[in-house]
Amino acid sequence: MSKVQLQQHFNTKDMFGRKKKATDEKELSQSYWAYVSRQFKKNKRALYSLYIIGFLAIIALLADFLANEKPILCKYEGKMYMPIFKQYAVTLGLAKWPEHFKAGDWKEKEYDFVVWAPIPYLPNNLDYGASWANPFGEQQVKSIRWRHWLGTDDLGRDVMSGMIHGTRIAFMVGIIAMGIACIIGIFLGACAGYFGDSGLELTRGGLIVNIIALLLAFFYGFYSRTYAMSDAMEISFATGLWSIFLGVLIFLGIMVIANIIAIPFRKIPFFNKRVAFPVDIAITRVIEVIRSIPLLVIILAIVAVAEPSIFLVMAVIGLFSWTGIARFIRGELLRVRQLEYVEAANALGFSQMRTMFKHAIPNSLSPVFIAVAFGIASAILAEAFLSFLGLGVPAETITWGKMLAISRTNPSAWWFAIFPGFAIFVTVTLFNLIGEGLTDALDPRLKQ
Amino acid sequence: MFKYILKRILIFIPTLLIISIMVFALNLYAPGDPVYNMAGIDPNSQKPLKPAAYNAIKSELGLDKPTFYFTLSSKAYPDTLYRIPKKEHQQTLSRLIGTYGNWDEIREYHKSVERIETAVMAIPKDSLNPKALIKIKDNIKGLYALYEDDKIQKNFKRADKSILSTPSTSVIKPLMDDMTAKYAAMVNNPTTWKTKVPSINWYGFNNQYHNWFSKFMRFDFGKSYQSKRPISEEIGERIYWTMLISILSIIIVYLLSIPLGIFSARKKDTVADSSVTTILFILYSLPSFWIATLLIVFFCNPEYINWFPPYGVGDPPDGAGFFQTFRIRAYHLILPLFCWSYGSLAFLSRQMRGGMLSVLRQDYVRTARAKGVDEKKVVWKHAIRNSLLPIITLFGNIFPAMISGSIVIEIIFSLPGMGQYLYQAIVYKNFPVVSTIVMMVGFLTMLGFLIVDILYAVVDPRIKFD
Repeated sequence: MSKVQLQQHFNTKDMFGRKKKATDEKELSQSYWAYVSRQFKKNKRALYSLYIIGFLAIIALLADFLANEKPILCKYEGKMYMPIFKQYAVTLGLAKWPEHFKAGDWKEKEYDFVVWAPIPYLPNNLDYGASWANPFGEQQVKSIRWRHWLGTDDLGRDVMSGMIHGTRIAFMVGIIAMGIACIIGIFLGACAGYFGDSGLELTRGGLIVNIIALLLAFFYGFYSRTYAMSDAMEISFATGLWSIFLGVLIFLGIMVIANIIAIPFRKIPFFNKRVAFPVDIAITRVIEVIRSIPLLVIILAIVAVAEPSIFLVMAVIGLFSWTGIARFIRGELLRVRQLEYVEAANALGFSQMRTMFKHAIPNSLSPVFIAVAFGIASAILAEAFLSFLGLGVPAETITWGKMLAISRTNPSAWWFAIFPGFAIFVTVTLFNLIGEGLTDALDPRLKQ
Repeated sequence: MFKYILKRILIFIPTLLIISIMVFALNLYAPGDPVYNMAGIDPNSQKPLKPAAYNAIKSELGLDKPTFYFTLSSKAYPDTLYRIPKKEHQQTLSRLIGTYGNWDEIREYHKSVERIETAVMAIPKDSLNPKALIKIKDNIKGLYALYEDDKIQKNFKRADKSILSTPSTSVIKPLMDDMTAKYAAMVNNPTTWKTKVPSINWYGFNNQYHNWFSKFMRFDFGKSYQSKRPISEEIGERIYWTMLISILSIIIVYLLSIPLGIFSARKKDTVADSSVTTILFILYSLPSFWIATLLIVFFCNPEYINWFPPYGVGDPPDGAGFFQTFRIRAYHLILPLFCWSYGSLAFLSRQMRGGMLSVLRQDYVRTARAKGVDEKKVVWKHAIRNSLLPIITLFGNIFPAMISGSIVIEIIFSLPGMGQYLYQAIVYKNFPVVSTIVMMVGFLTMLGFLIVDILYAVVDPRIKFD
């Protein structure tokens, strides 16, 4: 029998060749993650929260099709169009609008046949006839098809459409901000926990060369290219990113070359003396610095200086909320690095980086999920707060926080006080509930 | 113990320095020219500041000093660029240096532009056709902001054309030729290699950062752009309300959450416990700005229920007695206080419940129960002391949360506190105020952490610094 067959044999039959009972099979096939998912499913509140978040995520993904001024499908002058899909192509520069679609209101055109989106408005569409339309009151619209289900603001902008498109922004903020936070937090937290204060040893020569190379790499990678980068950023975001990426490449290249040059220095005894670099102290200091300024205050300060942009808001939230993740990972790696398999990897002569990234980190990622769930909640809350204050988010972007702020200008429009705020509350609570469920599932010690 | 406290204080200092550098850098990248901001004049307006007035404000703000102790730059950059008066000129020159790398020629060119500007300004307005004069002025001034070759050449040509078309401007013709020659010299003799050679300049202690930080530590925060009053004075007026509400709220939160947490922990797995836990969880997740908005919309609105005043701290009449003042203030502050506190209340109660539960599982509690100690005594005498420990440290977490909370609550209820001050400073681009408050908040938060750590070490001798 081949190895695979052998494995299959023992997966289904026990050592005496008898068929295994179903329960045994279940236990055998149970990996750590299967166990976690089973534990998570036991927590009904968290499980239903996950389902609802999934539902909201679908709304966020399909926002363009759920609420749009353009028809999903229409027949105009004998030709079929799918304007919403076409919009994507036009935005990407793959197609152009035919002449008759370029100007004029989509709703005024005479179609042979048309399927509208469920909510036939974009958040920014003006409908002066229906200013401050009350969700329960009579509305100045053509038919019930055009009704503003959750009311409108002073310019007649549809609230329901704003709610749907706001979902997309809230999810984007949560996910992108936490993505940035994860990358920074996992890397720095892992370095702090794995190396500690004595784990990262450098030769004295290596240390000196690295400090000098760091300065040089910064100089050639970023400093001397400041204008090139800012010019590229002005052309377009993509070329700007490419320019920054080039800078990173130059930076890394110089670091690598410097370390190769440093090799011959090892022959001189003075330079070959090993010194420990206190990684842990350095990183915990950075964490303390960031923790010392409340997230909202630092975001407000940066937003005051910079141009409003939703991506800036995401980036800033990410850059200043990785400390929770880093502390989790650090604590976990402090434990993991003393386990046998890490010792075994070291004994086999794997490089420290390989041991850390391939063996230690994957086994200590579980607490990160908890931090991410709570982190998404607080990122969404932070963005809602910022747009509530009218800061950081450009004027044309409609978000939940902005709609909530409208109720301050007109307290009689109760629908602005209730719906957007409720959406923020529900999303934040659901992510918090998932975080709690994950805490229970991943850390059985806390249960009891 | 003493050693631990000393170490903790020593570590406080570098953290503070790093935060101060971050805040200073933020200030440095603030848009606009601080001198014009301070003067309250739009730099593009018809009446720009006279050079003397400009330099006076600049030296008053301390901006005529080098920025930091040292700079890392390339060999092409002179270590005296900061002496060029205007921020806009500095930026253009720095661009030119980045392109050509020959500072001596660039400086000559810049001087020739300045000479021609003063010459043009000196021409009496009625001496030639005013349109041509304005054209010349605009094109010459435009040069200060230009660094791309083609655009500069265009400005040259246009200025030349206007000069040729109006004979009375022949005075500036030689200056114009001089400028073109200087420009050609600059473009034709580039030393680009210099921009590729790094160099570190050391400026010493008399620099902007050093002066700003040492002034900050002496509570001299500079002046506000808007009111031109010292920021420390303005903060002194506003900090009272923020502190009053924060302290009241902290007292209420601690007074309520500790018994609530203990109650919940003792009744674990009963209906009472689960309902308290659920309510606290919902409270914890409710965004305070939503609740505040709802309260204002539905409880301070003549259309619905008009119970509370929607904004302000009330204005007691002159000679009002203590009780009358108290009544008016309380009437105004009850909603803000509620919004300010409920989140922390929920958070702390949940922590207290968790802490109590883990203490109740300890061996010594079991021992106490086993030897027949009354359950009440077990909880209130043996368990409570240790379960209070984490609650003390959470003070350090609650403090920054309160400050960020203060921003939104003060804005929504129009309370004249620090949060509203920060918000207005951001809206009106009043950067000295923004950086002062950020720095202060950072400092106070760190101080909070420091005090908590020391308290913890005093209370729990098992803590070792590592």
